[in-house]
Amino acid sequence: MKLRDLQRQLAALLPDARAAGGESALELLSQGNDAPRLISATLLEEGLFRAQPVVGAPVPAFRAFLDGTQKTVVASYTGGGVALLSGSVAAVVRQRRDNRLYTWRAPVVETRIYAPRAHLASVTWSTLEEHYSGVLVDTTAGATDLIAHPFALRDAAIQKVRSHREQMEQRLAEQWCDAERDPLLIDGGISGSARVATSEIAVGVVKSHFTLYVHNDNLRTVLSLKHRERSSVFRIPSASRSTVASWYLRLRDPSGHDPLWGLVRAEIAIPDALEMANIGKRADEVSQWVLAEVSPLALPDSRWDKMVYGVRDCEEYLRAIA
Amino acid sequence: MTPIQPLGRVVATERRPNTPHEFHFWTALDSPVGIGTIVRVVGRDPVNGVIPNVYGIVTEGFSWTDLASPLHDVMGHDGSPADSPVHQTSRAEIRLYTAAVLRHIPEEPLQPVPMGTVFLADEADVEIALRMDGYLKEGSHTGIPVGVYRAGGTDAPIYLDADFLIGPEAAHLNITGVSGLATKTSAVEWLLQSIFTHFPEQKGSIAAVCFNVKGPDLCFLDLPGEIDDNDRLLYEQCEVPPTPFNDVQYYAPYKSDGVALNTLRSNEALLENVTPLTWGLREVLQYAEVLLNKDDIDAKADALIDFIKENVLDKRFADPMLERPHTVTSFADLDAWFKDVLRALEKKDDQSWRTHHVATIRKVRNRLSNISLRCKGLVADDGATSDLPFGSFSDRTVYVIDVAGVEEDAQDLIFARVVTKLREHLEKRDLGVQHVVVFVDELNKYAPGDGPETYVRKMLLDIAERGRYLGLVLFAAQQFRSQVHRRVVGNSGTALYGRMDGDELATPGYAVLSPAIKTKLATLEKGQLMVRHPHFTQPIFVRFPRPAVMRGRDGVSQYPAAQAPTLHSAVLRTLRQLDPAITLGWLQDVTALATDEEILRARNDVVRTRPTDVRKVFSAHFRATVAPRTAARPNTPAPLPAGPADDPYGF
Repeated sequence: MKLRDLQRQLAALLPDARAAGGESALELLSQGNDAPRLISATLLEEGLFRAQPVVGAPVPAFRAFLDGTQKTVVASYTGGGVALLSGSVAAVVRQRRDNRLYTWRAPVVETRIYAPRAHLASVTWSTLEEHYSGVLVDTTAGATDLIAHPFALRDAAIQKVRSHREQMEQRLAEQWCDAERDPLLIDGGISGSARVATSEIAVGVVKSHFTLYVHNDNLRTVLSLKHRERSSVFRIPSASRSTVASWYLRLRDPSGHDPLWGLVRAEIAIPDALEMANIGKRADEVSQWVLAEVSPLALPDSRWDKMVYGVRDCEEYLRAIA
Repeated sequence: MTPIQPLGRVVATERRPNTPHEFHFWTALDSPVGIGTIVRVVGRDPVNGVIPNVYGIVTEGFSWTDLASPLHDVMGHDGSPADSPVHQTSRAEIRLYTAAVLRHIPEEPLQPVPMGTVFLADEADVEIALRMDGYLKEGSHTGIPVGVYRAGGTDAPIYLDADFLIGPEAAHLNITGVSGLATKTSAVEWLLQSIFTHFPEQKGSIAAVCFNVKGPDLCFLDLPGEIDDNDRLLYEQCEVPPTPFNDVQYYAPYKSDGVALNTLRSNEALLENVTPLTWGLREVLQYAEVLLNKDDIDAKADALIDFIKENVLDKRFADPMLERPHTVTSFADLDAWFKDVLRALEKKDDQSWRTHHVATIRKVRNRLSNISLRCKGLVADDGATSDLPFGSFSDRTVYVIDVAGVEEDAQDLIFARVVTKLREHLEKRDLGVQHVVVFVDELNKYAPGDGPETYVRKMLLDIAERGRYLGLVLFAAQQFRSQVHRRVVGNSGTALYGRMDGDELATPGYAVLSPAIKTKLATLEKGQLMVRHPHFTQPIFVRFPRPAVMRGRDGVSQYPAAQAPTLHSAVLRTLRQLDPAITLGWLQDVTALATDEEILRARNDVVRTRPTDVRKVFSAHFRATVAPRTAARPNTPAPLPAGPADDPYGF
């Protein structure tokens, strides 16, 4: 649904509502980044947590890349000044053939309307629910301590949109894992979907490091990883998500940059008990795959030090269609 | 039948919007689109209930990747092109093309090109796009194939409209291109073949007069040349037989010795259709101003020349002051007349004669007498004339006038007189054909954009501006179009461009062409042309076959020019065209006591008068000679009787 169409509809449904002026994505304004955290993780590889070079030349093994985008904008304000938001999410798998990237199956594009039910007049909510059944999301649902501050409401909406995006990405990743046999590089973690988190062909590459799964000396080890070095493999447990194996990998020479420059965290499925002894070799193998994707550079994206080109291609594609 | 696959999609942005005359589209990286490709856009939304179709020709191409800066690629390769890492993924890349609109269907309302799907134009599309459907339809077929459009697997013959190439709606053709890349002369030869094949019968007869101004270019048009299978295919597609011209007549003046013809087509085997081109005083005096510059021809001199033309030339002229009556038919006669006039003035010690001042008379005598020297070989002192068959031109015949080896003045004279005679006869409708194509190369020289006004340039301007009403069509070629008079090129309805020089393309006349079109023009292969024609709203690129005639250098190699003939053999060759029974022995006997000049004069007289009894008229020019007899042995007296052996007085 186009924003203008939505604004027209809302103006008709809610006479006291007024359309928002701009179309700036709220994600750009939101301060709601996750708080930095250090979390301990269980080592899966034998020996101490350490840095080790990735043995062997980069191997181009990924046949596809998966990424998603989201965009949240204010559609209208109710008479009471509460923002009614439009959140669009999209996800795509871009498959590589003859060095070129093409869309695998169809991309997923969905738009939902986000409103804080607890802060709306009941007649307003019921009017919205009547017309937008199935795409209306209550941003206050399940939140007991959500205050009425517009920023808080905005951040809550953005979280809901993010959740929606992750669902879309997981849905596509599951389809890939069910249908294909070649490795898929997923931008972000793979633990959100049990099917993906246990697939041998799904590899998650996480660029953000608000949460670091190391402490003390191990943290120093990670921050001082050199180009083409990886950390030992560790387990990331989660109560709500699947458990996966992970390790840090330095994609580029960090000389002259901050310690997180060129640093990514890879996620793969936990091998079964028989294969657990070879988890290090598996980490080397997957690291070779990821290192093969450092070129071409993902410039001009500002995250190019950590982003592989296939993921950038997904984003550009979604920007064009979503 | 598989559906036609789209080639691309129309795109427009605020920065790069589409207009009614230009649009943009992108294609796959491996699409066969190139500069000059004709495409068809099928609109998305109907207008007045009709889905619009827009035809365009690609004029510019762009390509880029998602790189924001070239520096990023350098970084991606660690600064070393040789040691570049293996890219597993090629960057996203676009091929974006700009096309100039050829035609909208429907034509109204004229709107910006809509968003839509782009297809390669097929043969039928090309016909519509170039508005050829208007003159290729049954019943009014006036199409003249100029070549074949080839792009993306589409081969489509491109037709010029005879009404706009030969007249009367528009006319004339101008072709430009650098020398040596077989565009100008070859293209004209091919186009003449095409015209002779396809010129509609209802439009009448047509002939061509070609001036061979350099080398042996046009000297072998009636002999077959080498063509390959690609050429044959082009001939087949254009429905033109791959054969040399059926009827070609060659004309060339003599060399200055008056004996040998001044042409590279002088091989004995090819002389059958070569005719000398010689003019006498009458022919030259009509065009005296061609050879006399403005300093020569002031009002007084002009008046005297007019007086001579009206009162002296070809008439019996008597004046009490002159020693004798004069009948001036040749330069020799004219010189005798001048001498008589000047002698009379000196005798009377007078300064003027019949209002003409003695200085003017001397000046005009000097200039006119000089003509026969400057144009020796073409102009005969004795008034002999051998000319083109004005009045009996034949349909589909090429008349080649070889002026390649002739002095510049003589070239100008030949050109001016022939074209003027053509115009005169076409005005009177008694040339023998209704249309004549005149091919002139080196137009830079004959109709320059700057420099002094010359008779030849005035005449070319006249043809360019008025020739189409008469059926006199100018096909002109030059290396630098920008240096030709604007009115000459401006009046050419059709323009062809071969490989172009970069400096020439930088001149303002080519500003309307896109940089990509200019680049293509600067790199055109042999056998390719860019065509502009009144029906085509944009220039079109075509391929044309090699003309099926022997190339000049092949002709010279296969038919080497004859050695300079002796006087007798040259005269014999000429006389035998009139009387094949004449033998060298007879000729030598008849001319045994004659000088070279007397023999040539007799030959010229025979050529001019073309008598029934060639031997009689020719031999009448020479002094009677005693019939040769074998000397008889004189009678010797009877020998004296032998003396006695003992004769004491004997020796």
